[in-house]
Amino acid sequence: MPDVEMKPADVKPVKETEEKKEESKPAPLSPLAEIKSNVVLIDRAVTTLEPRFTHRVLRTLTALRKRIDNSVLRNAVESLYPKDHSIKKTLLAWLPTGPSSSDQAMDVDSSARPSHHELVPEAEIYLRLLILYHLLASEDTQEKALELANQTAEKMQAINRRSMDAIAAKIWYAVDRAYELAGELSDARPMFLAAQRTASLRHDDEAQAALINCLLRSYINYNLYDQADKLVSKTTFPPSASNSQFSRYHYYLGRIRAVQLNYTEAHTNLQQAIRRAPPAKTAPGFYQEVHKYFVVVELLMGDIPDRSLFRHVVLEKALNAYFEIVKAVRTGSLAQFQSTLSKHAAQFEEDHTYTLIIRLRQNVIKTGIRRLSLSYSRISLRDICVKLHLDSEEDAEYIVGKAIRDGVIEGRIVHEKGWMECGTQKNAYGPEVSEVFGRRIAFCLDLHNQSVKAMRYPLNAHRKELAAAEGAREREKELAKEIQDGDLDDEDLGPDF
Amino acid sequence: MASLKTYYEELGRAFHSKPADLKKCQAVLPKLKIGLIEAGLLLPQGDVNLGDLSVARDILEIGAYVSIRSKDIPSFDRYFSQLQTFYIDYSESLPPSKREYPIRGLHLIRLLTQNRIADFHTTLESLDADVIAENPYIKHPVNLERWLMEGSYSKVWGAREEAPSEEYKFFVDSLMGTIRNEIASCEETAYESLPLKDAATLLFFSNQSEVVTFAQQRGWQVDLTAGTITFKLKDEEKMEIPKQRLIAASLAYARELEQIV
Repeated sequence: MPDVEMKPADVKPVKETEEKKEESKPAPLSPLAEIKSNVVLIDRAVTTLEPRFTHRVLRTLTALRKRIDNSVLRNAVESLYPKDHSIKKTLLAWLPTGPSSSDQAMDVDSSARPSHHELVPEAEIYLRLLILYHLLASEDTQEKALELANQTAEKMQAINRRSMDAIAAKIWYAVDRAYELAGELSDARPMFLAAQRTASLRHDDEAQAALINCLLRSYINYNLYDQADKLVSKTTFPPSASNSQFSRYHYYLGRIRAVQLNYTEAHTNLQQAIRRAPPAKTAPGFYQEVHKYFVVVELLMGDIPDRSLFRHVVLEKALNAYFEIVKAVRTGSLAQFQSTLSKHAAQFEEDHTYTLIIRLRQNVIKTGIRRLSLSYSRISLRDICVKLHLDSEEDAEYIVGKAIRDGVIEGRIVHEKGWMECGTQKNAYGPEVSEVFGRRIAFCLDLHNQSVKAMRYPLNAHRKELAAAEGAREREKELAKEIQDGDLDDEDLGPDF
Repeated sequence: MASLKTYYEELGRAFHSKPADLKKCQAVLPKLKIGLIEAGLLLPQGDVNLGDLSVARDILEIGAYVSIRSKDIPSFDRYFSQLQTFYIDYSESLPPSKREYPIRGLHLIRLLTQNRIADFHTTLESLDADVIAENPYIKHPVNLERWLMEGSYSKVWGAREEAPSEEYKFFVDSLMGTIRNEIASCEETAYESLPLKDAATLLFFSNQSEVVTFAQQRGWQVDLTAGTITFKLKDEEKMEIPKQRLIAASLAYARELEQIV
């Protein structure tokens, strides 16, 4: 299941930069041209030490990935490297030979060759990344992909350049994917752990974020929540990581916390995952998956999810089974809950939410008791037992007692008479309101401050302004001088008139 | 290696004799563990002979059983965490052990008795859904947890004799202690007063004197002549306006606003 679910997660076409849009508006670039321009950008990024360009290239990765095929990749490699270059040979070895590629390549080759010099290793890794994604896309080349992934990871570690970090993070993700498709995810763990250590020592935030997520995914895939939790507590997720990585991290964290019954934290994490995730339409799989957990966790917290959630275009179908569970919990009917549970058990198991949903049983009972306490001021234990389909009056007494202790309802049990007296609801308005208000205000203010901090200014722009100011002052001086001189001039002019 | 084998046979004999010779087992186990460490089998890494591995697993499993029977819970925990490697990492290559699920079930019960519900669920998550539903050794603790959580304490009480294996009974006493405390804390909030007789049935005590000692431990007022227990009413929390905090908050808002404008 996680294969399908997470796949769209990396499909995070973060909004393209303005420039990019302008570029693609008049005539959408052919994939080949785009790869070439990307290589140029990477080159510029390395030579000017400006990681911004690399990020721009990586942003187009998802869109580009869908458009490449064998011949595009061949042509790109052919044209970017001179004829007998060793890298060219190794790269081409990964691509199956296509019939049409050779003559096409020739044309492009001749036109492009004069312009290029020795390419930076980052460009090679980028091309490897593209090939890797391409190999991963179809089923028969997955074995090859795994091989290439291993080789690329080794190569990357051998080259060891900081300017490669951003691309390296993507490579790690692809490596993870290759292992997963090969069904050997647990074998990759030692390698990831070692790479994660190295990345954190080098303050390589991007790779660190990617690797932590890969590891969490691997642990959770094998249901090793204990170890996943230990990993989370022993590492710090780099705060500068990209939104998509953060979104994934929050999702995994939410799942871990939900299993540990820490629903409040699970809820915040899943909410963060939803907020940071790309729009629902671009990554529907991830969106649905997170919402499944979100709904269950919300139910476990004793809340009822918003109904509009289930009408969302992307979610409506996927969450159908969950909607029925919500209905059962809301009415507090154990019988309905049990029948819905058994009806959709297969789906819940596939979603890995089954064990969480089983825990809802107590919530159903609690909701039932709460409804009774609201509608009756006094009700006998026997009636509670009948209405909630409990097994015995004795059980009913314990269950009501527990509900009172847990603060689900206000009331008392009068044992001698065998009934429950329900107290009045507490007034909801108290000091905690100001606390909540304060928390929200603090969030808004923090958001404001963060966005002020996050604003980017062009480098050395203030110099220009300074120069302009300097010039203005100079002119002013001149003007003043002229005026002074002008006084004289007036006198000089006098005789002319 | 040779000595390891003789010790292993010795352990097997001591454990399988009826009744099992616990003292002998306890004497042999440390020697075996040292032997395992020397052979690199206690925490196996990489490719190890499968036969050796299952012997190592067998030794640790017996160790776990022995420590439960001698009521040495910390030692059981240690054996269990050492067994994890065999149960998880080598699950594909090793033939399944028939003691695996009983030991896992025991571990689950142990977590329940300590009220470590979060750990309980984390452990449970690593098991397959059909194992949870079908396997009697796992089903037992799972049901107990469900009843504990919803408050059906009488079912828990009723299930104490239905333990799937002898070892589970070692935990029954402490489990009963846990539910008694749970019930007591429920009663404190849910009742104003309770007749002694009924309190005894609710708390699963067989005679009144036990109730009285239990009540004294929890600080309840017992009225022996009327035969009732009165629970201390919790004082209504006083509503107080947290002036200091409100002022601090308002000042902070003012400062931040100043920065924005």
